[in-house]
Amino acid sequence: MLSKLFLPFILLLSFWQAVAQNQSDSLALTLKIEWKGNPLALSKTYISSNNDTLQLHQLKFYVGNIQIDFNDKSNFQQKVYHLIDLENLNSMRIPICKNEKKNISQISFSIGVDSLQSVSGALAGDLDPAKGMYWAWQSGYINMKIEGTSSSCATRNNAFHFHIGGYLPPNNASRKIVLTPKSNSLEVIVDVATLFDNILLSENNSIMIPGKKAMEIANKCTKIFASK
Amino acid sequence: MKKSIQYAVLGIVFLIVIAFAKIECTPLYFNIPKSWPKPHYNFKTNPLTEEGFQLGRQLFYDPILSKDSTISCSSCHMQATGFTHVDHDLSHGIEGKIGTRNSLTLQNLAWSKHFMWDGGINHLDIQAIAPITSEVEMNESLENVVVKLQNSKKYPLLFEKAFGTKKITGQFTLKALSQFVVSLTTTNAKYDKVMQIKASFSEMEKKGYSLFKKNCATCHQEPLFTSDSFENNGLPKDSFLNDLGRMKISQNPKDSLQFKVPTLRNIEFTFPYMHDGRFKTLSEVLKHYNSGIQQSKSLSKELSKPLHLSDNERTEIIAFLKTLTDKEFLFNPRFSYPKE
Repeated sequence: MLSKLFLPFILLLSFWQAVAQNQSDSLALTLKIEWKGNPLALSKTYISSNNDTLQLHQLKFYVGNIQIDFNDKSNFQQKVYHLIDLENLNSMRIPICKNEKKNISQISFSIGVDSLQSVSGALAGDLDPAKGMYWAWQSGYINMKIEGTSSSCATRNNAFHFHIGGYLPPNNASRKIVLTPKSNSLEVIVDVATLFDNILLSENNSIMIPGKKAMEIANKCTKIFASK
Repeated sequence: MKKSIQYAVLGIVFLIVIAFAKIECTPLYFNIPKSWPKPHYNFKTNPLTEEGFQLGRQLFYDPILSKDSTISCSSCHMQATGFTHVDHDLSHGIEGKIGTRNSLTLQNLAWSKHFMWDGGINHLDIQAIAPITSEVEMNESLENVVVKLQNSKKYPLLFEKAFGTKKITGQFTLKALSQFVVSLTTTNAKYDKVMQIKASFSEMEKKGYSLFKKNCATCHQEPLFTSDSFENNGLPKDSFLNDLGRMKISQNPKDSLQFKVPTLRNIEFTFPYMHDGRFKTLSEVLKHYNSGIQQSKSLSKELSKPLHLSDNERTEIIAFLKTLTDKEFLFNPRFSYPKE
């Protein structure tokens, strides 16, 4: 009799345990945002190899369509979009799946959202337009937002703005990243210095519309991701 | 003992039911007049409810959406004038700042594929972001609007009624606004009654209607009185505004100086006319089409030859245009400022 009464509690307890176990034993894609090997900090002064002295004030981008391929030819796919925000440490860790101790052969994901999201109106969660990653005067998501200041920019307050997006061909700025980890790690290094080494801030400091220039930066951004 | 177990089980079941119970909403039916085309808006992704509509109405009339709580949607979209801003060629917003275009009317938007004079917005649900964030309109961020609404006394409850949660999001805010705005349908003008054989045109209106069908209806298609497309209607470019219209969005020179074909419903009250509000009266508008067209590469094909309408004919067209006035819409208390 008594055991019947406790049954729901026992069930609840075992469920709780299962959840708790999942959390500690789960795989997570972790992004390490760096400047030449050191953690990138907002408002800190950096110098690019083009001799641009710069500070970053905002760095946000979407990661989605994550796929992990394992050595045994199985894979894991996740359709969700995550907003990575340098100001939000929690956003750098994306829980993926249960850790089955399999070897990882390939990591792939997209930077930015696909066109379907950009024509679907107001979405929820990380895609909520209140996250500041939606264009106002021309519909569509901003895939990557990089803002800062540099003495090389002859602009108001020396500011530079890169709002990289666009979903209509031929200017779809979403990019696919494919990485082959050597050390079975789901850690992805994002070396922002690599991007600024490829940009002359005196000439290129304001992109806020879809188009050719946004496509160029989107291409350069694919080079900043590396696996371990 | 047995009974107590039964009670315990019952109690648990009750708690589970309560936990999953949804607050009931009152569904609204979107009325489509007979022989009208299918609306473009997808109501499945934002089902209309009385609670959602009323929340949207509150938001529409609330200056909380602007940075200094001075400007609401209704500042530039007033019901009695077909939900547009009259008397100003260019609409003005926060701190008296002046925009670059004349505000559009908000009518029958369920049938629109794109929004704004340049069609830059591809979905009604995200349209409101533009005026909220524009530096010369409301100069606010959607993020901050959500914070202000969440901290208000009135809104968490209204959101709970409409969406089943007190947690306010950008998505819910935009969807509620859409529910109100998409409901602004005008379908009961004299024109509509004539089409339903419930009324008849005067002699002058009748002549005006046949002239309209011959000269204007390719772009201002019945029954919406717009083709929902973009055209260059031969307006000389304003050298101060230098507004290239659709080309700014498409970056295609073919679209230079093209603007959305606006609906003509309630046109009697939606003055001034054109994207930059350059014409104050309908007779100025007709004079433009008669003799003011400026030739250019992107000029609408329909306008390559001047209309050559006589004075009488122009008056007749204007008489017909006035049959597009829908007083039921302009004074419908359901769409007016919500009195609490």
